[in-house]
Amino acid sequence: MPVLPALRSLLPGLRRGQAVSVDEVGALATALVAGASENGAWCAVVGLPEYGVLAAARSGVSLDRLILVDDPGERWAEVVAILLDAVEVVVLRPPARPSVTEVRRLSAFARRHGAVLVVAGVPWEGAQVRLRVVSSVWTGLGDGHGHLRSRRVRVVAEGKGRPRAEWLWLPGPDGAPTPAGLATVDDHEPVVELSVAG
Amino acid sequence: MSGARTLVVWCPDWPVVAVGADAGTPAAVVSGGRVVACTAAARNAGVRRGQRLRDAQRHCPALDVHAEDPQGEARRFEQVAAAVEVFCPRVEVVRPGLCAVPARGPSRYFGGEQVVVDLVRDAVAALGVDCAVGVADGVFAAALAARQEPAGAAGAGVVVPPGATAGFLAPHPVSTLGVAQVRPETAATRAEADALVELVGLLVRLGIRTLGEFAALPAGDVLTRFGTAAAAAHRLAGGLEPRPPATRPPGEDLGASMTLDPPVEQSEPLVFAAKSLADRLHSDLAARGLACVRVEVEVATEDGRRRSRLWRHDGLLSSRAVAERVRWQLDAWRTGEPGDPDALVGGVVLLRLAPDQIVADAGRQLALWGQNMVDDRVERAVTRVQTMLGHPAVTRPVLAGGRGPGEQVLRVPWGDRLEPRLPADGPWPGRVPDPAPAVVPPSPLPAVVTDESGRVVSVSGRSEVSSPPAWLTVADGSPVAVTGWTGPWPTLEHWWDAVLARRRARFQLATADGRAWLLLVDRSRWLVEAAYD
Repeated sequence: MPVLPALRSLLPGLRRGQAVSVDEVGALATALVAGASENGAWCAVVGLPEYGVLAAARSGVSLDRLILVDDPGERWAEVVAILLDAVEVVVLRPPARPSVTEVRRLSAFARRHGAVLVVAGVPWEGAQVRLRVVSSVWTGLGDGHGHLRSRRVRVVAEGKGRPRAEWLWLPGPDGAPTPAGLATVDDHEPVVELSVAG
Repeated sequence: MSGARTLVVWCPDWPVVAVGADAGTPAAVVSGGRVVACTAAARNAGVRRGQRLRDAQRHCPALDVHAEDPQGEARRFEQVAAAVEVFCPRVEVVRPGLCAVPARGPSRYFGGEQVVVDLVRDAVAALGVDCAVGVADGVFAAALAARQEPAGAAGAGVVVPPGATAGFLAPHPVSTLGVAQVRPETAATRAEADALVELVGLLVRLGIRTLGEFAALPAGDVLTRFGTAAAAAHRLAGGLEPRPPATRPPGEDLGASMTLDPPVEQSEPLVFAAKSLADRLHSDLAARGLACVRVEVEVATEDGRRRSRLWRHDGLLSSRAVAERVRWQLDAWRTGEPGDPDALVGGVVLLRLAPDQIVADAGRQLALWGQNMVDDRVERAVTRVQTMLGHPAVTRPVLAGGRGPGEQVLRVPWGDRLEPRLPADGPWPGRVPDPAPAVVPPSPLPAVVTDESGRVVSVSGRSEVSSPPAWLTVADGSPVAVTGWTGPWPTLEHWWDAVLARRRARFQLATADGRAWLLLVDRSRWLVEAAYD
């Protein structure tokens, strides 16, 4: 399944049956599924009542093919298993630290049904690819003036081979993720960079 | 074939009557900025149906305006229908305000059409509702006859003798063709109403002004030149019946049930039984040209308890699909919490499927490329999750209007249709600028914003910040240094409503850990409305 062009250098696409873990619940998890959603895949978001639907729509997720299960409660694993059978991508934040059997069972389910399981916010043993945000800078805010414009992040993808890292605008000036090579930084309108974090 | 003898009860200005307006005072019911119905007093002042509200109020400044309430109209009309049903059991409600009954049976039983008319009039008048009654061949002619009755007078109803209907109709203008139409509320009925308005306009332009002149045209030519809808109208104009009244004898049980002896414990045989019951139910409904909106699954167990659950059907489910729902339902009942008194235990002795809310099966047309169809697989999975967690647990997002990020998204339970109350694409001055935050907690989190010296930052009534924010503490977390900030963006929302009114100010903050926040100051309390990470 395709991913957004900005993310291609990190991972070429989402392979069916794969489990991917993302360390934050926000823009990165959304950007990861936006490519598939744009191309007609159904997505389900389980256990994320704070999921920013508006931001998802801006980054390319199709709201017509989005299912939200805000509070799956105790039977979350069963809910995810049912959804993996029907939709292409399931974004999940398990309520607590999941047990090893649950992790194994759901990973096997994803493999069998050819669906992608994106686990956000919680470490997931069975993940083939792990994405992390290692640095993040917001631009556009002054000292009492301006407004947030975009965020420059460094994302690291760890999988089987050598880890890959990439600078991204997440979100970019128009709300969609864009690559942030040095050239893009020059092209970008002059903004006040205020905060740097590691 | 000329129409069967039909008695029509017409309650004039029903939408206004249903909202409880008094006929003596000027009042109107308005939908989409236009007058739908008005009282006699308003009519005398110059208010007309279809008029714009602004014009109506110019004619009659004292006009009492009510919003349209279709459910309320139907509910109140149910009383009238019930009163009529006492004398003539097969009542067909054409639309709230107009109902028809076959007149032949009751008139023979009570000894004459005039007697039935008087009985019905008295029964409806006893409810305190003004009505007019007409009897003729067919619903359309009877409705026109009812309109002939002088309003308000203690009239005796208008009875058009059998066979004289065509002559009775002939002098009426063609614009009366729509009097016995159903309410234009769905897309299909609205299209029908529009087509009729167009036809009437066309006939008038062609110089055909009365029903008699229209009826005099050869039926074949009307069909070939104007289409099937016009052909039906042509039959009406000639005093014929376009369709027989779709009545149903009361108390007919269309459900299908099966008694199981000995009681059955396993799901498989029950699902198998459900499949054959669903087959029977569907063929019974299809034989009558009907479909059901919902199907009720009822199960009785050995211990004498009965459980039932409604499933949406809309005439779209196959027998297999119904059987599958029975399986899920049984599973859900059996696998309740341990010790749950409502859990299904023991063998099942009775399984019953009953249709709920019967409608005429109008058939359905699938979109050419199937765009509007939700993937069957997805639909099934979502329904299963809903069985486990309850109907509102699975939602789909709809964009709505609003200023804050939380207000701009509605979560609509899967399977429900809900239009946002406020349009998403309207101008929203004061809307928080893009980008949209990626994390929007369902309810705002408490926070504390302090300045360098540790005092809480406050905003004055004139939107002045006491001192620049330096530290942010979210909920129970530790303080983080603020690296950039902007605001306050004051909003004064719903100032016209004492309950909803709120005066707030928004801030955007970037913090040293690389995150950014949308904060809200409400009565000098800081709240995190959203986070941008």
